[in-house]
Amino acid sequence: MILAALISYPRAVVLGLVQGVAEPFPISSLGHAVILPRLLGWNIHQNDPYFVAFLVATHLATALVLLAFFRRDWVRILRGLGRSLRDRGIDPEDTDARLGWLLVVGTIPAGILGLLLQDKLRSVFASASSAAAFLIANGVLLLAAEQLRRRAPQTDDDDDVRIARQVGWPQAFIVGASQALALIPGFSRAGATMAGSLFVGLSNRDAARFAFLLATPIIGAAALLKLPELLGSEGNGVRGPALAAALCAAATSYLAVRFLMRFFESRTLVPFALYCLAAGVGSSIYLAVS
Amino acid sequence: MRDTMLGPMRSDRLLVVAAALAGIVLVVLAIVYWVEPAGSLPSFFPGYQAHSSHVHVKHGLAALLVGLACFVFVWFRTGPKRRAAAG
Repeated sequence: MILAALISYPRAVVLGLVQGVAEPFPISSLGHAVILPRLLGWNIHQNDPYFVAFLVATHLATALVLLAFFRRDWVRILRGLGRSLRDRGIDPEDTDARLGWLLVVGTIPAGILGLLLQDKLRSVFASASSAAAFLIANGVLLLAAEQLRRRAPQTDDDDDVRIARQVGWPQAFIVGASQALALIPGFSRAGATMAGSLFVGLSNRDAARFAFLLATPIIGAAALLKLPELLGSEGNGVRGPALAAALCAAATSYLAVRFLMRFFESRTLVPFALYCLAAGVGSSIYLAVS
Repeated sequence: MRDTMLGPMRSDRLLVVAAALAGIVLVVLAIVYWVEPAGSLPSFFPGYQAHSSHVHVKHGLAALLVGLACFVFVWFRTGPKRRAAAG
């Protein structure tokens, strides 16, 4: 009963709704998961084992939504990967295969850095104050990406064809590795990959698409790796709220991805940068005086 | 002409052999991480902690991932030349 009171259902719903929006939006879901409980006076800390177990459910829900949203793309990409392995090479015309390997090249550094650094970085930057400071840094990163972006000529090709042609192997590696920034609460995974993709010359829409495709295996794998914690003793008392939060996160992340794919057809990262700056500064001031 | 071709061919073969060896070493490393606790690892291994019974599952996964990447590289490099050039 004491454990059950740690995250009540109303709190779980709030955290799930926020996680679902903040994961695909370039505004740092982890930063919000750290700052929000502190601002609302909830006695929840991101390194508490039960909270880590709780977050696993919301991350898994987000990954499943991303997978479902881009399911047709993933089927084509997996077929392309299979073709290239069978042929022992990537046909220049096979953009599905090339995109698939770009995602693999981008996922490997992110996966390795995540596996090796996740626990250390989370324990070092566990406080809401540091998350608020990094949220400001995330805003600066997004603004800088829009200012310094390379505006490559856009063609009328299919989205994946444009991405496969525009992104090279070293760039995929760097963009993928930049996801590791999201291990620090306050920095956004989507923000880092979108910023990197803009530097490479992708449009906002293609950058968002590439970021979501890159994020799916990493978020899903990270959640699956931590799933035993939710199903084990650390998850005692939070599994019910975690399920409620996961359902809320699934609903809002679906709406968020759908919104963003339309939003980035004509808009930029600037509104999200301004939000991060405002939320980071506001939270920093509140935490300093409270 | 033939001499100038031999250099790149040799270095390519060397790269393939090196990647294959690295892949084998990394897979072995992954297994060591999974079966040996941190206190029993060789002291030069990342993650070694004296007297620790913690098993570094994640270190093992990281080693396996890089090892598999090495094998994929070898697979593509040793494929038919026409395809290898494209990849």
